[in-house]
Amino acid sequence: MHGLKTIIGLSLRDYFHERLLSACAVMGLAAILAPLLILFGVKSGIINTMVDRLVRDPRNLEISPIGSGHYGQKWFAEMAALPEVAFVIPRTRSIASSMILSRRSGGRTRTLAVDLIPTGEGDPLLEKWGRVPADNHQVVLSASAARKIGVKAGDTITGRVGRAVNGVKQQVTLPLAVAAVLPEGTFSRDAAFIRLALLEATEDYRDGFGSALFGWPGPPRPAGARQYPGFRLYARSIYDLITLRDRLQAEGLEVYTRAEQIEVVQRLDRSFSLIFRLIALVAVCGYLASMASNVLAGVNRKRRHLGVIRLIGFSTASIVWFPVVQSVATSVLGTALAAGLYGASALIINRLFARYLAVGEYVCRLSLLHLAAAFAVTLALGVIAASLAAYRVTRIEPSTVIRDV
Amino acid sequence: MTEMDQHRQSPAPADPEAGGGGEVFRLASVVKRWEGAPGFELSVPRLTIREGEKVALVGYSGCGKSTLLDLLAMILEPDRADEFTFGGGGLPSMDVGAAWRQRDIDGLARVRMRRIGYVLQTGGLLPFLRICDNIALSRRGLGLPDDGSVERVAEKLGIARHLKKYPSQLSVGERQRAAIARAMAHQPAVVIADEPTASLDPINAGEIMGLFTALAEEKGVTLIVATHEWDRVEALDFRPIRFQLTQAAGGAVRAQVGGRE
Repeated sequence: MHGLKTIIGLSLRDYFHERLLSACAVMGLAAILAPLLILFGVKSGIINTMVDRLVRDPRNLEISPIGSGHYGQKWFAEMAALPEVAFVIPRTRSIASSMILSRRSGGRTRTLAVDLIPTGEGDPLLEKWGRVPADNHQVVLSASAARKIGVKAGDTITGRVGRAVNGVKQQVTLPLAVAAVLPEGTFSRDAAFIRLALLEATEDYRDGFGSALFGWPGPPRPAGARQYPGFRLYARSIYDLITLRDRLQAEGLEVYTRAEQIEVVQRLDRSFSLIFRLIALVAVCGYLASMASNVLAGVNRKRRHLGVIRLIGFSTASIVWFPVVQSVATSVLGTALAAGLYGASALIINRLFARYLAVGEYVCRLSLLHLAAAFAVTLALGVIAASLAAYRVTRIEPSTVIRDV
Repeated sequence: MTEMDQHRQSPAPADPEAGGGGEVFRLASVVKRWEGAPGFELSVPRLTIREGEKVALVGYSGCGKSTLLDLLAMILEPDRADEFTFGGGGLPSMDVGAAWRQRDIDGLARVRMRRIGYVLQTGGLLPFLRICDNIALSRRGLGLPDDGSVERVAEKLGIARHLKKYPSQLSVGERQRAAIARAMAHQPAVVIADEPTASLDPINAGEIMGLFTALAEEKGVTLIVATHEWDRVEALDFRPIRFQLTQAAGGAVRAQVGGRE
């Protein structure tokens, strides 16, 4: 035990004594490792940011039906019960789901035809960017709709629904409070998000029926389960999205999702990872070769000193650590230097791209786990690189080297 | 070979000439061969070295002095060893030949570290250690405490003021003094020296050899020195061991240890 302790001390003394050579080895390692860390940091930073953006945007979690179908209450109840589903709500016929909004201001009246979109508690789109209408007389407008009729959240507008019964034009109006306006770029059409009850009343009115709820004239809608031609459906995550898409397609439904875009990012991630692995493999081979030759040359150069150490009587088991300790020292210092270089580079890169990034987004990012893994791998490589030299050390015969001059 | 067998030779039978001291080395029919052309063979028919003795292996270079020293220091494996024991100091003697046959290299190394000191002709110091750390090397390896013995031995050899320097900052003579200090600092039973003064000028050589011998006598250390200058050690009361060289058919040189025991 004293022998091993003494050998480790000797090895470190020698490492320090030859500090110029040692520093070169450390910088050689850092020169290989730092670019790898930066490359991997950029890869994981960009991919993570892209995936985060995809995941955080509820529109990427939407599944829309192509064409119209017949979905009953039972189907919606089943879908809502699925763990993968974050939100599902029926849509009425698109021909019936529109309304004329109007606003009078300064003696002028502005009107606009908008699409009616059903919404309710748990709608990810509104929960992220606006708020869900609290009652049947509240409405959330898309940015373009609000701009065109010149309203903002808190204003009151008038909604008008028209129909023709036996060639006679009729219409009803109702006051609507603007609960929120969605930000630009979140919904591309002129649209008003309203509660399902109002949308269903609108459809009934167009069909010639009245509404007791809103006091609209006409015969009551005949009893019977309502059938919906479409739905709004959101998955909980991108993984759930793929599962749900496959499930619906298996039911024979044609749906549209942005899953392809997510898959593009995932493919990009895989390709980048492959490229990174190839570069890392080449670097690892180069590092192993250069490190092994370094340590081996050191042992050959110090044959005589190692012979003297054996002559003094240190055991084989302790003396093999002489080159290993130095190799490990190079690994530790080299990784530390590389991590420092990486840290500085990451700071500069992230600052350079700061204006394209939201809070918490990075272009270059490595987790502590990644750094720890890099350290562990370098350490292992250091020991492997020193193993041949360590074997050489065990073969040194003091009687053949101690008289070399 | 069992533990019992290893210890069978001890205690060594008292030699009429021994004067009471125990045997440190006892060799009989030990042979080391070097293959190749022309080839070399060292044979030791009988050799006994007793505790506290001062022995000089005398002969020209190439006569087998270094080979015999390396055999005694247990860093060279003999090709034949009918009897080869190492003992003294009241400890049970050890069968070196058997240890070699069992490839117990680390066992031999342990004995060497605890009980033998070795002085080389030049360059036995490690260049990356200061003189004090060089001298303390065996003590550290053995886990002995820093009890001032490094300073004391350095003082005796006149290099106390160089303890914090590196070997490259010292003259050849000072380095040899440091090498002797290192071989002595852990209080070994035997110190083996291979031409310790051959690279020094005669005045330095005489002074250092005198100090070395005095120190060994003071500590009761058995001293085995190889030298080609018999006149340097004759006055210091060394027992000479000489080598007889003959040439075998085919040109191989055969050296036989044939000094008076």
